Amino acid sequence: MIKKNFHEKIALVLSFLILNNYLLLSLNSPQLMIKINFLIFLLTVLIFYSKNFLENSFLKIFFLFIIFISLGTPTFEWDARSIWLFHAKRIFYDQSIFSIGDNYAAFSHNEYSSLAPAFASSLAFLVGHWNEVFPKLSFSLMFLPPLILTYAFLKDTQYLIFLSIVFFTIGKFLFNGWTDGLVAIYFGLSAFLMYLLFFIDTNFFKNRLLFYLLAFCFFISLTLIKNEGIALLFILFATTFIIKLYKGQLGKDISKLVFLSISFLPVIFWKFFCYSKGIGDYYINTNILLNLLPRLDDLNNYKLISYFLFLNEKFLIALIFFLLSFWIKLDKELFSFIFIVTAMYIFILFFIYLSTPYDFYFQLDSTAARVIRSLSFLLAFFGLYNLRNYKISY
Amino acid sequence: MVEVKIKKFKFFFIILCVIQLFYIFHFRSGFKYEIIKNPFNENAGISYALSAEVIEANSILKKHKVIDFNLSEGLKKDTYLYQRTIEFNYPIRINESSKLIFFLYAEDIPNTCKVIETGKYLKLTQC
Repeated sequence: MIKKNFHEKIALVLSFLILNNYLLLSLNSPQLMIKINFLIFLLTVLIFYSKNFLENSFLKIFFLFIIFISLGTPTFEWDARSIWLFHAKRIFYDQSIFSIGDNYAAFSHNEYSSLAPAFASSLAFLVGHWNEVFPKLSFSLMFLPPLILTYAFLKDTQYLIFLSIVFFTIGKFLFNGWTDGLVAIYFGLSAFLMYLLFFIDTNFFKNRLLFYLLAFCFFISLTLIKNEGIALLFILFATTFIIKLYKGQLGKDISKLVFLSISFLPVIFWKFFCYSKGIGDYYINTNILLNLLPRLDDLNNYKLISYFLFLNEKFLIALIFFLLSFWIKLDKELFSFIFIVTAMYIFILFFIYLSTPYDFYFQLDSTAARVIRSLSFLLAFFGLYNLRNYKISY
Repeated sequence: MVEVKIKKFKFFFIILCVIQLFYIFHFRSGFKYEIIKNPFNENAGISYALSAEVIEANSILKKHKVIDFNLSEGLKKDTYLYQRTIEFNYPIRINESSKLIFFLYAEDIPNTCKVIETGKYLKLTQC
């Protein structure tokens, strides 16, 4: 028999250790401490696997297969090689996440935050050398905290459907060394934790420190995985703020929101460091209005963005599933929360694409299918969660 | 009766997950059996991840134990070769003022440069 809150606690420990690894590398800690931290992570995974193997056996078996695929594939795609694993390689050889301060190889977007690369470099510390295959295994391991946490809420067949959603929406991003899959799943679970802490009727979650700590770790991770995560977490806070303000409950919850907003601090420090070293984001550094204004009044631009974002087959299927789920069982509060989050993100995506300094078509063609992944996962996940207690009549 | 239908429902999703994983593995991963045999080997997967020119540049640099290098204009114009050479050779760095310059095999080498090593695809010179 597994102890109460076992999955929540394992998810918390794992996500804390991922963040602690980042902190250790930020503080130029001795390599021994970084190795011990990673070993504790692996030990925790082992405890998760060994404690009643039959409990959550599907995740355990399927994840072993993901590890197998990850260890059998080279890192050959551009983002994985030239951004994420190159950052990891630099951290491995220079033993600090701040080594990018020299802005060497500027094409690799040195301003991107390095939570996943830092974790990959620590695995290389443990192994003792670098190569083109195993470091990206760390990216796969970072999926474990959200995947394990979900089991606390969706059991048995529901969890199988959840895994099916993960394989469908995230797919090869589970092991290919990109961070888009991590953003999608951490965003989905961050939205879920926000919902549990601020919207759900019961006080069960609102009164427990464990869930605040989980939210804190997941929120920090989301912002430090990729720039997109900062915008997504901001959307979650803004949506919560707006709904609470509308319902006149802001006074009651504002202190919790302020406490959780501390999770933006690490990424603010990182951005400040980059700014102080003159390492800028090409998008922000260019004149946004100069790119945006000429594109605003051309209807074809909106059509093209809509084509790339909304005619994505994964997004469409997830959206249909979400709408169907809420048509079967309407939870107004949950629906409005997800609807506002989705609408805000789509608005931001339109704004970003219309103001891109890069070639408009190239930017859409190379990124739209990846950024919409976060919404596809969010919609499908909440569609499933909404039906968790629904009884099918045979 | 209900029990049987629930079991069928569960079985359906087990099969669905297995099919999805197989699809990702077989069609989307680039999985290589040669790599899984020894994924922690220092040279694992390089021939699948990089072009022969980039691998050759690395072996020449290691052989001569250099700490920095530069690339010819011809190599710099090729974005793929430029970026992959930089990232794969790290911690050996590209340095604009380095006297050791790589040229493509077919490129003309200036008179001021002396060829140190000629490979199959590249030439390392001292200028």
